Amino acid sequence: MQEIKRKYVVPGDLIADGNVRPVSNAVRIGDKIFATRIGIAEVSREGARVIPLSGVYIPKVGDLVIGKIIDHSAMAWEVNINSCFPGHLPAQDVFGREFSSARDDMTAKFRVGDMIACKIAAFDRSRDPLLTVADKDLGKIPKGEIVRISPTRVPRLIGKRGSMIQTIEQSTKCGIIIGQNGITVVSGPTADGILLAVKAIKMVEEEAHTANLTQRVKDMLQSETGEKIGQID
Amino acid sequence: MKRLGKLINEQGIRTDGRKIDELRPIKIEAGVLKNADGSAYIEFGKNKIIVAVYGPKEVHPKHMALPDRSVLRCRYHMSPFSVQERKNPAPSRREIEISKVTREALEPALMLDDYPRTAIDVYIEVLQADGGSRCTGIAGASVALADAGINMRDLVAACAAGKVDDTIVLDINDEEDKEGQADMPIAYLPNLNQVSLMQVDGILSREEYGKCLDTAIEGCKKVYQLQKEALMKKYFGDEVDVGGSE
Amino acid sequence: MSRKSNVIVEHLRRAQMNELLAAGKRLDGRGVTESRQMKIETDVIKKANGSALVTLGNTQVIAGVKVQPDKPFPELPDKGLLICSAEVLPLASAYAEPGPPDEDAIELARVVDRGIRESEMIDLKKLVLVPGEKVYAVFADVSVLNVDGNLFDATSYAVVSALLTAKLPKLEMKDGKVVDTGEIMKAPIHTIPISVTMARIGDMILADPTSEEEACMDARVTMTTDAERRVCAVQKGGTGTFSVEQINYVVETAISKGEEIRAKIKSVTGSG
Repeated sequence: MQEIKRKYVVPGDLIADGNVRPVSNAVRIGDKIFATRIGIAEVSREGARVIPLSGVYIPKVGDLVIGKIIDHSAMAWEVNINSCFPGHLPAQDVFGREFSSARDDMTAKFRVGDMIACKIAAFDRSRDPLLTVADKDLGKIPKGEIVRISPTRVPRLIGKRGSMIQTIEQSTKCGIIIGQNGITVVSGPTADGILLAVKAIKMVEEEAHTANLTQRVKDMLQSETGEKIGQID
Repeated sequence: MKRLGKLINEQGIRTDGRKIDELRPIKIEAGVLKNADGSAYIEFGKNKIIVAVYGPKEVHPKHMALPDRSVLRCRYHMSPFSVQERKNPAPSRREIEISKVTREALEPALMLDDYPRTAIDVYIEVLQADGGSRCTGIAGASVALADAGINMRDLVAACAAGKVDDTIVLDINDEEDKEGQADMPIAYLPNLNQVSLMQVDGILSREEYGKCLDTAIEGCKKVYQLQKEALMKKYFGDEVDVGGSE
Repeated sequence: MSRKSNVIVEHLRRAQMNELLAAGKRLDGRGVTESRQMKIETDVIKKANGSALVTLGNTQVIAGVKVQPDKPFPELPDKGLLICSAEVLPLASAYAEPGPPDEDAIELARVVDRGIRESEMIDLKKLVLVPGEKVYAVFADVSVLNVDGNLFDATSYAVVSALLTAKLPKLEMKDGKVVDTGEIMKAPIHTIPISVTMARIGDMILADPTSEEEACMDARVTMTTDAERRVCAVQKGGTGTFSVEQINYVVETAISKGEEIRAKIKSVTGSG
């Protein structure tokens, strides 16, 4: 079994000696590896990384994100994806190659104020992220409650192989879309179910750094609903 | 300009009761503002300063953006009620200079290359000033930047030392600033052992200079521990077991 | 993010808001005339003569009062000076930029000043040393630390609380010079003005709006009343309108909420 050394760190904390490879949020200075973010440092034979607990969302190609339409030009919608860059959704992505701004009405498809589920199609250091809705389950979100969390907590909310999010969905009978950018959409048949799902999401955000979180969330859900949660793996 | 007074008594005690190598009481709290991406509240003695960080974020106007790194902008500002005589809110030349040296003190610690085409804004607001506010501001800004999750090589600690009654003392207060003989604010990156802010106002001999610098750096190391504690407290609370993996 | 983005409240949220409003409830569970939880701490800046930190929901402001001898206005030789100003610090929101105050910040300062001045909260005639030459100048400055709606009321309550608890130096003239006697006096208070701000969204009028509600509102109005249930200052803002009926409702609400909040501020500041 691989040994992983873990500890809480702040920027500048020493996490390993020089013969370890810095993987993410870690930097080599001289012959030592230091943390560059607040978070949980993990050092294994593979390298040293810090799982961050704060920070803005930086787009990654392939990520599912939830965005808000905030403007449009003749050729594309401008989308707030809760990052330091606005996302751009080309009209062609929706209308096809034959898109013509004279003939096709962009506002008929998406208006300012609409929430959409989309993917990051392209992104690099020299330009703003390009978005796409050309996939199953992408597009305008017709209903649901928007819950915003720190993007750094998203992996924890999803859990190992989706275990955390499935636990919450099953117990509250809600559907939850999680954007990698920290925006989630909760929808369900009952107002109480939605409220409970929101409570569970906020609990995960608050305690993401702690041990045994999945069990405690399960316990909370069970005590609120009075229903046992089945084994999820 | 500066006058020798009886600022240190025969027992080596200063006007506010401290010994010559003693810091004023320091309080630091991370994450105090809801809207800011990162924030901190900090007190050095009677200095009360609040810092907010917004960023990385889009740059406006667009032509100010740099293609390969983030633009760091700092604003040190004093509220009108922060000083003895009510101050006009418009930025003074002193505030503009301090904003500049603050930015230059923080920049070496930040990994700005990680955020091309963005800006990082640091806003330092002095709510009450009492000598050494620029160091207080830098120490607070460092905590706020870490709170915002911006990649940093190190935290930046800051502290001033000075010469008062021919003696090198640590962390000079308002009275010592006005009546003392020299004053040296320092910002320091503890893990890299590098100085990023250094100013001197007054007269120091060669030996006094070295002693003053060492004293300020020792002060910085103590400030650094408190900065770490403030961040650990906000993010990890009383947790001992490192979780976050299952 | 592009500056326009957060000011745009998503349709889903607006729909939720409207659904709740139809049942007389708001997104945070409040009733339409209910204010958010308010916390007032006074004397937080010891170097100032008076100060108050006010937290109204997530809106947070700090006021500082400084008192200094000065020349009076030439047209008001027998009155002390009262100068209120406010700055929405760039700390306070992603939309606040550093630089000279914009029209919103200027309106904020002037409306708060008007409420305090017109109500004659401070008897400025009692702050004169030599008529036409030397008077007390009372500066009330507010720094807004976090914006979440209703800056008008939070700012006003901060200035009022700071003035109520301010410790002024007792000055006197000696050989043509101003001298601090070393004694402390309170500001000469004549009444406690309370401002109440309401926003109209459709047909609903909501007291103490949040940033989100302000982004969806058609219009707002700030009304300041004194301890005798009289209206001293009013400011309508926003590009929408109010009907006469709605205005009557606003006056009633401003007076009754004014009394409620006045009692709270009196108790916190010990002005019982």
